[in-house]
Amino acid sequence: MTRRMLTALVALVGLFVALYLALYKAGVIGTLACGTGGCETVQLSRWAMFFGVPVATWGVAYYALVFGLAFAATTERWGSSRGLALALVVLTGWGVIFSAWLTYLELFVIHAVCRFCVASAVIALVLFVLTLLDAKARPKV
Amino acid sequence: MVKSAQSGGKRAFYMSVAVLLVGGIGALSYMSTRPTGARIDTTLAPIPNQGHVIGSDSAPVEVVEFGDFECPGCGSFANLTEPDVRARLVFTGLIRFRYMDFPLSGHRNTRAAHLAAWCAGEQGKFWEMHDAIFQNQDRWNGETTRRPEKVLGGLARQVGVGMEQYDACVDSGKYMPQITANAQEGARRGVGGTPTFFFGKRVYPEPISYDGFKAYVDTMIAEARAAKGTKQAK
Repeated sequence: MTRRMLTALVALVGLFVALYLALYKAGVIGTLACGTGGCETVQLSRWAMFFGVPVATWGVAYYALVFGLAFAATTERWGSSRGLALALVVLTGWGVIFSAWLTYLELFVIHAVCRFCVASAVIALVLFVLTLLDAKARPKV
Repeated sequence: MVKSAQSGGKRAFYMSVAVLLVGGIGALSYMSTRPTGARIDTTLAPIPNQGHVIGSDSAPVEVVEFGDFECPGCGSFANLTEPDVRARLVFTGLIRFRYMDFPLSGHRNTRAAHLAAWCAGEQGKFWEMHDAIFQNQDRWNGETTRRPEKVLGGLARQVGVGMEQYDACVDSGKYMPQITANAQEGARRGVGGTPTFFFGKRVYPEPISYDGFKAYVDTMIAEARAAKGTKQAK
């Protein structure tokens, strides 16, 4: 399996983590399987919104985009595209920065840790490493 | 040979995507359709006489809340729903309402707030302090300050607590063991987050609307009446 395929699969996992939190935020899922209360604290804090939209919903859109691009990159048509590889690096790099900011908020501002947010941050980091390795392996034209 | 390995890799990839899609959608569907409200545990004994109670001893049923003063969901229940609960259910003699401490470890200032409420309670002002703490949650919570004592002391003064006795009580921390014991009682009952309500043996583990609250109370009262009728018939 190629790095791009792994990227698509990891992004799909991230998509479901974000979707779980987004459904909770939308009131479809009644309680989070968190155990500590930290998830609710984070999700009900004012930091759980970004430009008027729940952060989890941004996460769904982000992971869907990464999945879509990585999936396209596994096809013959886009398989050799270095531009797509770079676009994925930029996108996942932004994801790491955003996740780092959210983790900072959890630890030092909200003082509660949501394990699903931590999972999402780890996934964002893995995606960045995978896309970076993929881009480095592609020769410049 | 290379082509065959490539197509094998692709097949594994598509299979993995399909498995993740089916598994993910299945898991989310289960989460969104499972009952999020009451679950019934008939093995639990009645809640011991701890915490603080508002309402008449002769009320036919008792509702218990395990709450955390710093939890936003508890704050929203206390500020938006509880006034209705008190006016329509507690003060009309339909229910007794008990507040049990369940300070969550992730909330930095919550234990100080619980202690402040108990110390106000020592002078008969628990519920006044309870309301003031929740109404001013944004002034003393862990996001706002590292030293909540001053704001909490101000609230105590505002609700009419004698400050000399209050300060001595807070300094001694004498109610902390009781607060911890109440939290342990909650943990024993499977409380995982706050607020969690016990309507008799029915558990509702999240903030609840007045209508939802009333529906559970109606059920409890009907059950209590039916049980009484059965006893009398015997």
